[in-house]
Amino acid sequence: MQFLHLFSSFHPFLGVVEPIIKQAQDAGRAIALGAGAGGGAAGAGAGIGAVFNASIQAKTRQPELREEIERDQWLGFALTEACFFYGLVGGFIAFFL
Amino acid sequence: MSAVAGAPPMAPSTGAPSGKAPMSQGKKLLYAILGAWIGGIVLFIILFGFKSHKAPAVASGVFSPTNEFKLDTWFKLGPVAFNKGVLYLLITVAITIGVMTYIARRLKQRPGRLQTAVEMFYEFTRRMSRENLDESMERKYFPLIATIFVFILVSNLIGYIPLPVDSGESFNVFGAAIPSFQIYAADTNVAFPLILALGVFVLFNYEGVKHHGPIGYLKSLMPGGIKGPIVGLIFPIEILSNFLRLISLTVRLWANLLAGHMLIAFMGGELGVLVGDQWVQWFLLPAGILIFLFEAVLIAGLQAFIFAILTAIYLGGAVESH
Repeated sequence: MQFLHLFSSFHPFLGVVEPIIKQAQDAGRAIALGAGAGGGAAGAGAGIGAVFNASIQAKTRQPELREEIERDQWLGFALTEACFFYGLVGGFIAFFL
Repeated sequence: MSAVAGAPPMAPSTGAPSGKAPMSQGKKLLYAILGAWIGGIVLFIILFGFKSHKAPAVASGVFSPTNEFKLDTWFKLGPVAFNKGVLYLLITVAITIGVMTYIARRLKQRPGRLQTAVEMFYEFTRRMSRENLDESMERKYFPLIATIFVFILVSNLIGYIPLPVDSGESFNVFGAAIPSFQIYAADTNVAFPLILALGVFVLFNYEGVKHHGPIGYLKSLMPGGIKGPIVGLIFPIEILSNFLRLISLTVRLWANLLAGHMLIAFMGGELGVLVGDQWVQWFLLPAGILIFLFEAVLIAGLQAFIFAILTAIYLGGAVESH
């Protein structure tokens, strides 16, 4: 952007280039938000699936440990789910700032 | 548009088959709700058109989805600006202190319903802190952990009750302008989780330094059994991960509640307002109700639990030697 402004004094198509750059920036922001939210959702989805998979297997193998397994399962669920929000917050920062 | 879960009176039975066998009560209700939903979509498309116009405030950009979380200063008491976030915090503090002292004052041999709930909660947090802390630390920090749990839980739960706090909009009741009802939680402002997490962060570092000494604490951050030049690589990562606990504690609580409230708002009608089609609001309403229940039943309690148990784990990890 700054680089282009150096040449702008003798650039004949400045009026054409300026809105295109603006649109490209908007597009980049939208892509960043989409990648942050989408990638975060994909990763957290796989992670939550893995947590519940392990929990179900453990519970069927050792039903007597059900309570402890479920407590750890919810701990793992919440820790994994938070990763989605890290991606989302990163996307929002890119989108709005 | 009324936001009720049950079937409105205009329910057409479009989905119900004209079967001979009598249907069970639950199945009838299910078909009625489904029919009302589909009939509502058709009705809204007929009434307002498939592609309708946007509301003037949306088209001109005055209305923004983030207005829900904007904090307007109502009045100032010295340096303290009073807004709806402060109001929610005060309500939370009042409910927490009120319920707990009420129960503690009149403990009975044969507990009532509220006392049973509080006793179960006490057992739960007690076991949680006992498993992660040793004897003297548990004696010292169990009140903090239980307080954090109940404070965040109450703060999350009152976030799902509509209260008249939206200073941007108002409606008239017999001439009195009442702010419109809104669901807002203090946790959706980053300052609230940040100050809680900062308190926890300072506390467990202080306990670690007190227990090991400054140099010993830095050494205790390293996992055991690492020798040689790899130490130079692992040590910065461990220091960084110690500080990342602050960020992860904050962002977990804050972003969960913020995203939850935004999703409820979007699914409960805001998306329809933004795109300007009335039928979209009716179409998404079941999703809004489901997300509301999911957030209020699971996420509110889970986040309080996570914050409290991580406090216990961090405090326990700071004083334990590898």
